Amino acid sequence: MEQWIAMLLLISAIRLLQIRKISDSVSILAFQSFVLALTAGALWYQTKLPHLLVAAVLTLVVKAMIIPAVLHYTIKKIDVHRQVERVTSKYSSLLIAIILSVAGFYVTSRLHLPSTKFGAPYLPVSITLVFLGTFIMVDHKKALMQGIGLITIENGLFLVAQAISYGMPMMVELGIFFDMLVTVVIIGILSFRIHSTFESLNIEKMSNLKG
Amino acid sequence: MIDMGEVSLLLIIPLMTALLCWKINVRIGNKLQVAAALFNVVVGLFIAKNVFFHAPITGWHRLIYIDALSAFNVMLIVLIGFVASLYSVGYMHHEVAEKIIDAYKVRHYYLWFHLFLGTMLAVSVVNNLGFLWVGIELTTLVSALLVAFYRKGTSLEAAWKYLIMGSVGIAFALLGIIFLYLSGVDLFGESADSLNWTVLNQAAKQLNPQWTLIAFIFVLVGFGTKAGLAPMHFWLPDAHSQAPSPVSAVLSGVLLNTALYGIFRIYTIVNTTLDGKAAPYLIFFGLLSIAITVPFMLVQHDLKRMLAYSSVEHMGIITLGVGIGGALGLYGAVLHMFHHSMAKSLLFFAAGNINQKYHSKRMDRISGVVKAMPITGSIFLIAAFAITGTPPFNIFISEFTIMRAGFQSGHLAATVLFLLFVVLIFSGMMYYVVRMAFGEAPAKVEKKEMSRWSTVALFLPLIAVIVFGLYVPPFFQEIIQQVAVVLQGGKS
Repeated sequence: MEQWIAMLLLISAIRLLQIRKISDSVSILAFQSFVLALTAGALWYQTKLPHLLVAAVLTLVVKAMIIPAVLHYTIKKIDVHRQVERVTSKYSSLLIAIILSVAGFYVTSRLHLPSTKFGAPYLPVSITLVFLGTFIMVDHKKALMQGIGLITIENGLFLVAQAISYGMPMMVELGIFFDMLVTVVIIGILSFRIHSTFESLNIEKMSNLKG
Repeated sequence: MIDMGEVSLLLIIPLMTALLCWKINVRIGNKLQVAAALFNVVVGLFIAKNVFFHAPITGWHRLIYIDALSAFNVMLIVLIGFVASLYSVGYMHHEVAEKIIDAYKVRHYYLWFHLFLGTMLAVSVVNNLGFLWVGIELTTLVSALLVAFYRKGTSLEAAWKYLIMGSVGIAFALLGIIFLYLSGVDLFGESADSLNWTVLNQAAKQLNPQWTLIAFIFVLVGFGTKAGLAPMHFWLPDAHSQAPSPVSAVLSGVLLNTALYGIFRIYTIVNTTLDGKAAPYLIFFGLLSIAITVPFMLVQHDLKRMLAYSSVEHMGIITLGVGIGGALGLYGAVLHMFHHSMAKSLLFFAAGNINQKYHSKRMDRISGVVKAMPITGSIFLIAAFAITGTPPFNIFISEFTIMRAGFQSGHLAATVLFLLFVVLIFSGMMYYVVRMAFGEAPAKVEKKEMSRWSTVALFLPLIAVIVFGLYVPPFFQEIIQQVAVVLQGGKS
C-alpha cells in the first residue's frame, strides 16, 4: 500500500516535467498534495497521533485546495494557454528524472537515516521529491513553474519530516503552512507583475543584472 | 525584572505601525512611523539592558527566549530600523516629487517596511528553532516585495531571483532543522520543546554527532544563502542595488545579521556536540566570501552594487571571526557585526542621497559629491574609509581584533589571506570612491543637500562610526563579551 502511494507521488513529480501548458501543472500539483494528505492520514490511522490528523487536514485544505486555487487564479489572469518552455527536451528530461529518482533511492539506502516504524516506506520517495523539485526549478524557464518546483521541494520536505519523526511539532507545522501560503501568493503577485512588464514569463528575458 | 509586556510591545508596535500607515494619510503616516520606530528603540534598548545587566528572559511557555545574542540583534534592528524610517521620509518625499512613484505607494512602502522590521524582531526573540525558520522565511517574503517596490524590469528581476534563491536555500535549512529536531526527539521524545534552543544547547554534548553535522551543513548552506555567503550570494548584489536605498540599508545592515544569527544559534549547539569540528566550515565559507568580493569590487560600475559586494565581504569576515573562535575571535566578530551595521547603513543612506541628486547609480556619471553636497559628501567619504578598515574608524578595530585572534590561535594561512584580500578590496573600493567624491560636479547638478530628513538621519550611525573607532566604552565591551560567551555555548 505505502509503496503504491509513494509511486503516485513520484509519478506526479515526473509528470510536472512532461506537461505542455502551464495550467496543467496546477492540477498535477493539487493531485500530488492530495496524495501527500493521504500519507499523513494513513500515518495517523496507524499511529493515532493527533497532530498527524491536523497535518493531513491542513495539507488537504492548504496545499491541495487553496494553493492550487491561488495558482489557477494567477494563470487565468495572465494567460491560460501559455505553453511551457524547458531547457531540456521532453525525453532527456524524462531520462534525467529517472536518474534522479534512482539516485534518490540509492542515497537514502546508503545514508542509514533513522526512520519511524510506519514512516519508513516514504523516506526514499521524499528525498527523491526534493531532487525532482530542484530539477523542475532548473529545467523550466517560466517564472511560475519555478514556483511549482519550489512547492514540490516543500512537499518532499514535509514527507521527510513525516518519515523520520512523524512530522514537526504542530505549532511549527502550522507556521510552515502559513509561510507556504504567503510564498505562493507572493509568487503569484510577482509573476503577474513580471508578465505585465516583460510581456512574458520567460526568466531568460530577465538578464539585465550582471556582475 | 521584566515581564512579557515589553516583549509583546516590541513585536506589536511594528505590526500596528505597518497597518496604521497603510490606512492613513501619508503626511500623518510619515511622522507616526518615525515616532513609533523611536518608541521601539526605547522598548528594545530597555529589554536589551535588562538582558545584559540582569538575566536572559524566558516566557510564554518557553516560546520566547532572549539572551545576550538575541538582545544584541534586537538592539541593532531597532536602531537601524529607526534611522531608516527617519531617512525614508525624505527619500520617499523626493521620489513622489520626482514622479517616480505615486503618492499612495508610500503607504504600501511603510506597510511592508515595518512588517519587515517586525519579522526580524520576531526571529531574534523566539526560542523554538522551527519558529526561527518560519520567521526567517517570512523576512524573505516581506522584503522581496520591498525589493520589487519600483516595479521596473530590473527590480522585478532582482526580487524574483531573491525570492526563489532565498526560498530554495531556506528549504534546505528546513531539512537541517528537521535533522536537529530528530536528534532532540531522540533524547527527549516528541514535543515542541525538543526543538527549543535552550533545551538543545543544554543537552548539546549528548546529541547524535552524525545527525547534528548533517543538520549544520544544511543550515549553513540554507541560511548562508540568506546571509549572502559565497558561493550562494548571487541574489544579493541584485536585490540590494534594486531596492529603495533605506531598504538596502536595512537589508545590508540588519537582515544579513539576522540570517547569520540563525546560523550562529545552531552553530553554538553543533560546535559543542562536535567538539569544535564545526568551526572549519565557517572559516572556509568566510574566507571564500571575502575572496570572491575582490574581483567583483574591481570591475563594478554601479555604486549600490559595489556596496552590496562589500556586504558579502563583511559577512565573510564575521563568519571567519566566529570560525576562528576563542574569546578574542568571537569578541572581534560580534564587534564587527555592530560596526558593519553602522558603517554600511550609513553608506547606503549617503548613496541614496547621491543617487537622487545625480539621478544615476553609475559611478562614472558621479563626480564632485563633496562640492555638490558638502555634508553628505564628507560623510560618504568617512563611511567609505571606515568600511574598508582604515584607522581611526570603527571597522579597523574589529578587523584588527579578528586578525590578532587569527594569529594567536594559529590560523596563519587564513589570516594572511584575509589581510591580503582586505588590502585589495580597500584599494579597489577607494579608487572609485575618491573619483566620485572629488572633482567638479556636472553643471546640471544643483549644489544643495537633499532634504533635512535625509541629512539628519546620517548623523546617528556617523557618531557610532567615529566614536567607537576611538574608544569602546567599558559597558559596551561588557555587552560584546556577553554575546561572545553565548556564541561559545556557555550560559550567560
